[in-house]
Amino acid sequence: MATVLISLGLIAVVALIVRSMYNDKKNGKSCHCGANCGACTKGCHSQK
Amino acid sequence: MKIALAGNPNSGKTTLFNVLTGSNQFVGNWPGVTVEKKEGKLKGHKGISVIDLPGIYSLSPYTPEEVITRKFLLEEQPDVILNIVDGTNLERNLYLTTQLLELGIPLVLAVNMGDVLAKSGDNIDYAKLGKALGCQVVAISALKGTGIKEMVDEVLAVGRENKLHSIMHKYSGSVEHTLAHIEEALLHDLPLNQQRWYAIKIFEQDELVMQKFQAFGAELEHIKKDIAECEKEMDDDAESIIIAERYSFIEKVIKDCLRRTGKSKMSTSDKIDRIVTNRFLALPIFAVIMTAVYYISVTTVGTWVTDWTNDVLFEEIIPPAIESFLVAVGCAPLLQSLILDGIVAGVGAVLGFVPQILVLFIFLAFLESCGYMARIAFIMDRIFRRFGLSGKSFIPMLIGTGCGIPGIMASRTIENTRDRRMTIMTTTFIPCGAKLPFIALMAGAVFGGAWWVAPSAYFMGIAAIICSGIILKKTKMFAGEVAPFVMELPAYHWPTVGNVLRSMWERGWSFIKKAGTIILLSTIVIWFLSGFGFTDQGFGVTDDINQSLLAAVGSAFAVIFAPLGWGSWEYSVATIGGLVAKENIVATLGIIFGFAEVAEDGVEIWGLLGAQLTVVSGYSFLIFNLLCAPCFAAMGAIRREMNNGKWTAFAIGYQCAFAYFVAFTINQLGNLFLFGTFGIGTVIALIALVGFVYLLVRKSPEEKLEKTAAKLIAE
Repeated sequence: MATVLISLGLIAVVALIVRSMYNDKKNGKSCHCGANCGACTKGCHSQK
Repeated sequence: MKIALAGNPNSGKTTLFNVLTGSNQFVGNWPGVTVEKKEGKLKGHKGISVIDLPGIYSLSPYTPEEVITRKFLLEEQPDVILNIVDGTNLERNLYLTTQLLELGIPLVLAVNMGDVLAKSGDNIDYAKLGKALGCQVVAISALKGTGIKEMVDEVLAVGRENKLHSIMHKYSGSVEHTLAHIEEALLHDLPLNQQRWYAIKIFEQDELVMQKFQAFGAELEHIKKDIAECEKEMDDDAESIIIAERYSFIEKVIKDCLRRTGKSKMSTSDKIDRIVTNRFLALPIFAVIMTAVYYISVTTVGTWVTDWTNDVLFEEIIPPAIESFLVAVGCAPLLQSLILDGIVAGVGAVLGFVPQILVLFIFLAFLESCGYMARIAFIMDRIFRRFGLSGKSFIPMLIGTGCGIPGIMASRTIENTRDRRMTIMTTTFIPCGAKLPFIALMAGAVFGGAWWVAPSAYFMGIAAIICSGIILKKTKMFAGEVAPFVMELPAYHWPTVGNVLRSMWERGWSFIKKAGTIILLSTIVIWFLSGFGFTDQGFGVTDDINQSLLAAVGSAFAVIFAPLGWGSWEYSVATIGGLVAKENIVATLGIIFGFAEVAEDGVEIWGLLGAQLTVVSGYSFLIFNLLCAPCFAAMGAIRREMNNGKWTAFAIGYQCAFAYFVAFTINQLGNLFLFGTFGIGTVIALIALVGFVYLLVRKSPEEKLEKTAAKLIAE
């Protein structure tokens, strides 16, 4: 039972990560610059 | 309502944008920080957008930033222009103001850095300035947040009333006469408020505006005759007439509104610059500062905290706690392995280096905010110029210290296509923040925490840029005149603690977030590949990692890296994993070497990694991963900026080939000098080194041409 619950939790976490990455990409915020996404001048705000 | 922030580069627009919108946009002390417009919502006011436009000196479309700003102002017609001017450089900043005032859009002038000016003893009479320019003027300090409320109130009032300022600047009779002719002949269909700006641009024969009025064939020809007559009368060309008249107007305004006390002939900034940018001292000072930054971040302060996170938090506290929980609830062993040996080992290995990264980010934020980073570009320009490169190329590299992607994008400010391409190709040689955990890992595990490893990684990046610049500039593809580099050095100032901490947290949080997303997903894939494989019983779980799928994939590539001294599958896999994100190198090694497990013999976990590599092969591994192709996201940025598949492939191919050459030479010659190993590889490395030196010192096509020309003249 614990294995099933933990597995489900893990699947949910992975699904949320994939969803957030997909949304970021869709919104033009897909640059995975590890250090400084704030520095990204990709103009995400203007590319709507 | 739309409020457009416009002003000269480095006048404080992005700082003000952050204050107004509550965003955390990157603020830099050098031009080119904003290469595209950014939009945000005015804090505390619904339905009001603030647009941060790239910094420009004029509305002539000479640079990409000028084109973006001008296009936005003309086509999107914001409700108010908030023109930010640097109070310490009023004369130069007002040049743009005179042009913005002619656009026919309500304008509020915000004089920034008035406090800095006051310190020098000079004073601006803001009421007189407003009267002279015909618009509302407010004094602010974007950094300290003073005068912001008054400014916002003023901007909103002007925007709501659509209150257009009066045009105070009148040109000389002959010019005004011609402008009136232009308005009458060509512009009568345009809204009244826009006519003057277009008339002036037509007078200047601005190419883009002229194209718009090509249809007016006969009228345009007639107008051109008028302009020619005016030029004859004024004995100058149209563009110069306008420029000269603008400056004489500004001179008059300054004379009336700025009281100079002449208290100090040389400011503190000037005094510091006499030493910091000194011809002989500049480079050693730069080297000492950057060495100290990396030494403190990676070796001392950063390491003390990182040792705790690595050895205690992610070894003695978190993994045992999770393990006890999983055992207690009866979780299946395979799932336990995925969580402990995969996710905790991989993500924990990366997160363990967060303290070091935060310390580095504090230093970088401080150097950027106080104005020193801008000096580095100026210092590097002197060196770069000697090798045919422009200092402009160094600005993307400065930005790239945080992350390669904005660095690559900042290359847009370089007008010359050849120089821009070359900068895009070399920007990622500078170690970005994502590479720091890897540098710290190697410095600790292989070099016993030697102080020189982290600074050497930084300087190796700079050396790679300079050498690549020299070599590439001598090829036909990149040969050409060096672009001029003009840059304003901001006055030194103490950054506010809040700004430094905000900048550090912004960058650090992105790093942590990334560890929780893409790195976490990668660790699951790596765990699967390292735990499953083909054994005698067929495909399934394997306890021997050497039989895993990961080992099989790594072994296929290992042969390529063998001449570099680390031809073992573990390192090949880590290198390939690094292409997803550079932190993945650490995460992959963490899973492979069992970061979350406590070694039975008590040997430090990362010590297992260190035992496999010698100092030579370890350094070769480090340098290859620092110089080779960046992560996929950065490769995407290269593709976007190059806008050409072939150039992208060439850039990535060059980076990999250069990294391979450097790592190969380090390994072969390092083994020769340190361990006396001599073989066929040593011979090839020596030949490659001779070839490399030849490429560095050979004459460029221009030098050859000049020599031939000189010979012919002599004959």
